[in-house]
Amino acid sequence: MTAAVARAGRVLRRLAGMAATLLVTSFLVFSSLFLAPGDPASFLIKGRSPGPGELAAIRRQYGFDEPFLLRYWHWLEGVLQGDFGRSYLFHQDVSSVIWSRLPSSLLLVGVSALMIAVFGIGSGIIGALRRGSRLDRSLMLLVTVGAAAPAFVAALMLRSLLGVRLGWFPTIGNGSGALDRLHHVILPAVALSVTFTALVTRVTRSAMLDELRRDHVEVALSRGTPRRTVIRRHVLRNALGPIVTVSALLVSGMLVSTAIVETAFGMSGVGSLLVQSVDQLDFQVVQAIVLLVVAAFVVVNALVDLVHPLIDPRMAAAGSAR
Amino acid sequence: MSTARPGSPAHRSDGTTHPTRGRVTRVRHAVAAALAAAAVLVASGCSGTAHPAEDKPAAYRLTDKTPAAARNVDSFTWSTYAEPTTIDYAYSFDFPPNQILANVCESLLRWNPDLTTSPNLAASFANPTPTTWVYQIRPGVSFHDGTALTADDVVASLRRNLDPATASVWANQYKNVKSIDKTGAMEVTVTLTTPDSTFNQYLAAGPGTVESAATLAKSGKDYGNPQTGVNCTGPFSFGSWTSGQSLTLKRFDGYWNPQLKAKSGEVKFVFLADATTRVNAFQSGEVDGGWMVPPNAYAQLGSTQAGTLYFGRNTTVADEVVANLKGPLGDPRVRQALLMAIDRKGIVKAGAGGVGEVADSLVTDNLWAGAPAATRDALLKDLPKYPYDPAKAKALAAEAGVNGQKVVIATSPLDSQTTIITQAVAQAATAIGLKPQIDSLSSEKYTTLFTDPAAREGIDLFLTFWYTSITDPLDMYASLQTGAFSNYGGWSNPAFDKAVDRAVGAYDPAEHAAANAEAQRTALKELPWLPLYTQPVSVFMGKRITGVQPSIAYLYHPWAAEIGAKG
Repeated sequence: MTAAVARAGRVLRRLAGMAATLLVTSFLVFSSLFLAPGDPASFLIKGRSPGPGELAAIRRQYGFDEPFLLRYWHWLEGVLQGDFGRSYLFHQDVSSVIWSRLPSSLLLVGVSALMIAVFGIGSGIIGALRRGSRLDRSLMLLVTVGAAAPAFVAALMLRSLLGVRLGWFPTIGNGSGALDRLHHVILPAVALSVTFTALVTRVTRSAMLDELRRDHVEVALSRGTPRRTVIRRHVLRNALGPIVTVSALLVSGMLVSTAIVETAFGMSGVGSLLVQSVDQLDFQVVQAIVLLVVAAFVVVNALVDLVHPLIDPRMAAAGSAR
Repeated sequence: MSTARPGSPAHRSDGTTHPTRGRVTRVRHAVAAALAAAAVLVASGCSGTAHPAEDKPAAYRLTDKTPAAARNVDSFTWSTYAEPTTIDYAYSFDFPPNQILANVCESLLRWNPDLTTSPNLAASFANPTPTTWVYQIRPGVSFHDGTALTADDVVASLRRNLDPATASVWANQYKNVKSIDKTGAMEVTVTLTTPDSTFNQYLAAGPGTVESAATLAKSGKDYGNPQTGVNCTGPFSFGSWTSGQSLTLKRFDGYWNPQLKAKSGEVKFVFLADATTRVNAFQSGEVDGGWMVPPNAYAQLGSTQAGTLYFGRNTTVADEVVANLKGPLGDPRVRQALLMAIDRKGIVKAGAGGVGEVADSLVTDNLWAGAPAATRDALLKDLPKYPYDPAKAKALAAEAGVNGQKVVIATSPLDSQTTIITQAVAQAATAIGLKPQIDSLSSEKYTTLFTDPAAREGIDLFLTFWYTSITDPLDMYASLQTGAFSNYGGWSNPAFDKAVDRAVGAYDPAEHAAANAEAQRTALKELPWLPLYTQPVSVFMGKRITGVQPSIAYLYHPWAAEIGAKG
């Protein structure tokens, strides 16, 4: 078997696994909502005394009266065609509800991811290379504080200091136009990424230190290979595996962690939409968002697995030998 | 009859509500499938950030009208604590949609800021028989798309509330309606199955909204959503709606009523869920104003250079709902004792920033405006009163045989006000020998207390802020009738039910008021709900704008039309 065929096989297996995972999760997501407290039909009635036929009419209208498996099947059928149903809270298609909020969430997550990658990986590397120095100790202190700072505390501090007090940044809204949007997203992105940056710093630093301690690194250094080269070719490259894995998973989980900062900065996004939809028992929207996030996780996971061999050729060899 | 707010945390009258806020999930290693659960859980974790109320009670007075606008303004920005889910009047039953819609869509009658009712899209109306109401439609009114208002539009709009498939939130106000028909080119007749003294009054609120029949037919299920909007007759027309962010209204140049022609070219509503975010935005001038200022910001906004804080007429009462009459609270003496042991003055001071009054009934005094002045005082005089008296309360509870029984008080960690009230009620329960247990629910679960009987199981007490959308105590008391949806504790008293029925059927003001007063007396003797305090409507306006009339009528009155530039 050539390496190329093996690789293609691996990719195919991976894709099949992804599909299976998504199918299983779709079922879990769909059924888990029936365990949630409250009946969406009585929620739709709100504070009224329903007439005899009224509850039945609502149940029929929204398909609440169908057997469970049939409802799941209808839902799945729709999802496969890109139809996530209709939000009974927003009186429009779920896809347009989500689509109107997705771009701002993606921008927020994207900018945060960039910050996490640059500051998290950057300070982790610096810390590891200058282990024990005053810089390293200060960085570690910052990391401890950062990891412990909940996003809402960060959001409140940033907002009142840089937003209200100094007036450097807007405190509400999404902005319009590319530059204005960026201006609006910076504070929320900082608030969102503080904790994650701290985590990535820690992971990066310890992964780098692990690699630095390895025999082949010491051998290379003792042979007189320039330190810079050794660090780039042996230490960083090998450490990158866990760093990429952790960073990618953190970032893909961020889509649902945005609710707090979105609320604090009056932004609209998928995170706050999810919270609102759960609050109001808008099942269709909750299902779609959860599925979306799971899909993001699955895809990122798969990408990380596919990228690993490129970072570290030893893994490709191990893969084809399996 | 439950136009009164369910008063769930999601629809609180004080606006200090936050949706449940998720906690950051720190995902180190995550299995994809596990995230499905995590994503749902994220929404049930929550955190409230509220500052303790100021110690010093702020002096307050009610304002009928803020200084009139000196001239027009191009636009202003207004904040709401949540985004409307739709602006279809059939589903508009909450502060955010109603305060927007009030400027866009008009009703047959109008609820004025002084809580009176006057003709609007119906130029006049008559009541030839007790079960017939005839409305003459105002000529010369056009919809935002330029078409003229006719009786067909009125018939189509009102009939939606009768259709079970629409599931209008106003169906209950239409429960005594037999038919709605066009009886002339500009005349509509509503026939009732039984005399109903509130039906006509409700036509000044959401139930009387008129939309173009052609637009209703054309938009279908999408009517009122961000893509389609609405097409009504108000001083502002629907402009644009960016989901999750803002909704913009534009001045309607073809508006029929010169008195309420909009002074602003545009109003932009921004949705700011977080109370602190809203207060910050007022301070920084990013937002020009908003209704429902959080009580813990009264002091701050009362003294800021950024604008002025006003208080106005309200119909809201904060009540502790007795949700379980099978437990220790089943004995009316225990409910009376509990109310006597609650330090309501202390709650107003600590929880509402000193802005409010202890409530001596389940409705505000101004709802009795329709009663003849002479009878009004007499009606209210013999109300049972429950002044703060822990010693007497304890004795009364002992007489009822309460000893160490558990009562569960549901709450949600939303804001300081809710927390303070809950603590005070728990303290009172302890004082009369009960064993209070505070059950803190996520706001999601708390909301379901108002809609789902199953969610109320095991809960004895919960808090609500309940307003009425007509100037009539019946709006409140009818919702406590046997079997009414909002009669959460399943309270039943035949004499009370009869009094309410009598009030519903009585068109004569004196007779109506007398029946209402009797219902009120019974309710206050029995206390199916415990009235705590009343709070005025609050509104903040930045230094650029002025002109609004602060009043609960902002939910149905085109208040934004009066806002213009300061002199």
